[in-house]
Amino acid sequence: MALSRRGFVSTLGIGAAGLVGGRILSGGRVIGPWSRPFDEALFAQGAQPLLLHNNENPLGPGEKALNAIRAKLTERGIPAARYSSPAGQLASAVASKFGCKPENVLIGCGSTQILRNATFAFTSPTRPLVGGSPTYEECGDVAKLLGASIKTVPGDSNMRHDIEAMAAAAVGAGLVFFDNPSNPAATVHPATAVQAFVEKVRSTSPDTAILIDEAYHDYVTDPAHKTQIPLALETPNLLVARTFSKAYGMAGLRIGYAIGRADTIKKLRELHYGLSTNVLGLAAAIASIQDDARLQQEAQRNTEARKFTVDWFKSNGFKPTDSQCNFLFVDVKRPAREFRDACRKQDVLVGRDFPPFEKSHARISIGTLDEMKRAVGVFGQVLGVKAAAA
Amino acid sequence: MAVSRRAFVRSLTPRVGPSSAAIAARGREAWAAEHPHGEEPQAAQESPLAVRLNSNENPLGPGQSALGAIERAFAYAGRYPMNARPSMADFRTLVAKQNGLKIENVCLGAGSGEILECAVMAFASKSRGVVSAAPTFESPGRTAKRVQFPLTEIPVDDAGKLDLEKMSGASTGAGLVFVCNPNNPTGAVHGTDPIASMVSKIAKASPDTVILIDEAYHEYVTDSAYATAIPLVAKYPNVIVSRTLSKAHGMAGLRLGYAIGQKDAIDKLARWTMPYNGNALVVAAGVASIEDEAQIERERRRNTDVRKFTTDFFRNNGFKTSDSQANFIWVNLRRPAQEFAQACEKQGILVGRAFPPFEKTHSRISLGTMDEMQRAVGVFKNVLGLTTTTAGGR
Repeated sequence: MALSRRGFVSTLGIGAAGLVGGRILSGGRVIGPWSRPFDEALFAQGAQPLLLHNNENPLGPGEKALNAIRAKLTERGIPAARYSSPAGQLASAVASKFGCKPENVLIGCGSTQILRNATFAFTSPTRPLVGGSPTYEECGDVAKLLGASIKTVPGDSNMRHDIEAMAAAAVGAGLVFFDNPSNPAATVHPATAVQAFVEKVRSTSPDTAILIDEAYHDYVTDPAHKTQIPLALETPNLLVARTFSKAYGMAGLRIGYAIGRADTIKKLRELHYGLSTNVLGLAAAIASIQDDARLQQEAQRNTEARKFTVDWFKSNGFKPTDSQCNFLFVDVKRPAREFRDACRKQDVLVGRDFPPFEKSHARISIGTLDEMKRAVGVFGQVLGVKAAAA
Repeated sequence: MAVSRRAFVRSLTPRVGPSSAAIAARGREAWAAEHPHGEEPQAAQESPLAVRLNSNENPLGPGQSALGAIERAFAYAGRYPMNARPSMADFRTLVAKQNGLKIENVCLGAGSGEILECAVMAFASKSRGVVSAAPTFESPGRTAKRVQFPLTEIPVDDAGKLDLEKMSGASTGAGLVFVCNPNNPTGAVHGTDPIASMVSKIAKASPDTVILIDEAYHEYVTDSAYATAIPLVAKYPNVIVSRTLSKAHGMAGLRLGYAIGQKDAIDKLARWTMPYNGNALVVAAGVASIEDEAQIERERRRNTDVRKFTTDFFRNNGFKTSDSQANFIWVNLRRPAQEFAQACEKQGILVGRAFPPFEKTHSRISLGTMDEMQRAVGVFKNVLGLTTTTAGGR
């Protein structure tokens, strides 16, 4: 399936000049049950590989979140057995955090469900999907299912989205997917540029929806970055997606959300599978979103581990992008696969291929500082770097 | 946990707000599926003190082994479910092994609800419609209507059984046939032979039609003529069987279901499902629960006792019930379901929604614990105007 699917996508005809084929936006991660991002045998052998391949938070949820889950398991009425969902409570908590109403919020099974629904809602065979290159693949995967064409716009020399070209490609499109910070590039776009982009698309193609994915927002340290949630709350056809999978450490609990004007959210809600979220994840999310101290602690921890890792690569002559996330995208001067396979042999798992940079760049998620110290030892060997790490 | 819950149920004072009437009338699972949060502010006000006999839930919840597995999986809460131990793949492997199949024959859903919706998207189209029943579980029909795929609904017979003949006939050229066995809301079950002959007939007359057999209530069946349709998967490329952990496994709030079929069919279906639809904690609970056959056996027995008690009550009082093989009963109360539900709700008992075309006569009542049902039949007596001999009189 993987091969035929990639083959299919790469043959999609893309009309607009200056755009590369659809395979970058779609197909990097094969959807469906066959997706197996790492070798199960590694675990079967009792090894404890470092999981630096899926941009997870190595510490997981905070104690408050875990306690909320424990409380759910013993709560009167046994919520685990009931269809009643506290998703509405979480929507209220999100709404009060951002000063809007629950009708401005849609809770999903991770932000994955939001990205999928936005693609279902806004793209079609006559309404293309527009995205950067490289970028996160979910929307592209769904566009392909729908037979919607995909326009991918190569990034600039700093691995940021080419905002001008994306705005031009957006004319007549159904949906623009704009991840900020961007995955896998890890770069962030200044708030002023994002706002100018939105304004441009609004004026040249008002029926085009824009989805800004802020999955890594909480890890950003660049002061030029700002969330576009306030803009989404007042701008038609603009949505922001957020997830609890990253800084909140809840990738296993599957909770994310979309936020936007009520009329935009309604378009997603109409086709939203409402029983997608589980009571344990919802309880953990409700507890987490009120735990700002934990969030700040986690962001700080990541910033330190990120700096350590970035410095290691830089001091050894490798160029990482300006990472604002819990992962790096770094020019390892060799195919990602070669690097990945060599690291895997030493129990360090790093990210998948990201065309068109699969010949040179690897994505490496940031673990704990201790994990990264162990990892750079392996990276040093694999990359042939003379030992210098402290 | 169970004990404290019963104690609490006994001491409850009903104070169900009128705002929950809509949910009580329509059923929690249908309401939630149709109205994602934000459009259901009433939900928060639904009294936790009411006895919930409206959504075919398991009143005892997950077993101890499942609860223990959740706690042990906390270490993986930060990992995507495919990176957790057990992983989504481990769950699929276990299900496959139990059925003599391979991992590629199993895909997961956030509840079987996701499977049902995705099956419509994967196999039906504007030119190849969906064949379903009336009444049956609404999800596939509702999805078809939403995306404007043709929908044919074949009425059940007087015993609440699916009309397999007519459904087969209507299937020629269809994209998907939905066969809910046991059927919700009627509880009627169909034996192995009629199901096998239906599948064979459709496979011959319309080989491209996918037959989705939903066995959500499988574990509750006691009729020996019934057996799972999973063995048919080996022979027929277009048969998919769906299961859920929301019923006998007591995990409706945890969202895990699965589908079994041949690789190609599962492949097509899974493309439409969300890639990480299994929760790391819940997959762990699912593995533990599926392995804990004694727990499911206990739950089946408990439900069978309660089902008999409740069925007997209605029959002894002159109301006809179907031969329910599930954790709910379907009873002709000779009055509108809505009227009955609202009257019961005022006394702290929530019962099932209206199921056209039987909304004028029949109600679906989910089975709670024996204590809950004893309390419920007291309320049913009041509402149905049955004479009771209360000590002391008025």
